[in-house]
Amino acid sequence: METRRDVFQAIADPTRRAIIDLLVTKTQNLNSLAENFHVSRQAISLHIKILTECGLVVINQQGRERYCEAKLDTLQEVATWVDQYKQFYESKFDSLEKYLDKLQKKKKHAKSKK
Amino acid sequence: MQNQKSNNTDREISVSRLFNAPIDLVWEVWTNPEHIKNWWGPNGFTNTISIMEVKPEGIWNLVMHGPDGTDYDNKSFFKEVTKHKRIIYEHISWPRIIATIEFEARGNKTFIQWTMLFDSKEELIEVVKKHHADEGIKQNIEKLDV
Repeated sequence: METRRDVFQAIADPTRRAIIDLLVTKTQNLNSLAENFHVSRQAISLHIKILTECGLVVINQQGRERYCEAKLDTLQEVATWVDQYKQFYESKFDSLEKYLDKLQKKKKHAKSKK
Repeated sequence: MQNQKSNNTDREISVSRLFNAPIDLVWEVWTNPEHIKNWWGPNGFTNTISIMEVKPEGIWNLVMHGPDGTDYDNKSFFKEVTKHKRIIYEHISWPRIIATIEFEARGNKTFIQWTMLFDSKEELIEVVKKHHADEGIKQNIEKLDV
């Protein structure tokens, strides 16, 4: 059985987030990618492996070079989850809005009675 | 300062809205526990506020009672309270959040910006993940109800 790695686990690591940021702007091979970091090429290679397993990065073999490319639709899934969470606070605002309306209607009603 | 702000954007969630109510009323429903328990929600929840001292270093304990009977403790303390301007509180139960609510009168209306700053991006991710899982369960239950 295939165990799919968790996308969120993948982006929980700051180095992997930095890799994604770099790849979103430009597809590049492992060596040029590794030059941006103070860790070993092997370490970057391992991060890339995890990112590919989560579907956040795909590797395209071109001759002898392996190019890493960010998969934007998987990243979009992450953004959707964040939006879903934001919706939780928007719904508090909805509730506050309704409550304020109710209070003001009551007030008006009380005034017109006087 | 600019730099610090951009550093925060990956670990904060922010919502804003213009409310059709004057600032004194909006401030009242945000700072009076008798009001806040009525709208704090979420949908289907009730709230008990045992203490809410709206002043710097004041304690705020709110328990949310879920529709399935689960209680969720929310302990916070206020860091800043500036009337009609700003409330900052720190949520010390999980997840750790520093929330800033900015109020701005616009004629008879009130603009509110509510920003939740998480301890770290990792913690924000944890919360987003958990929320997604909870939503999934909720939707399954709603389907069963039909």
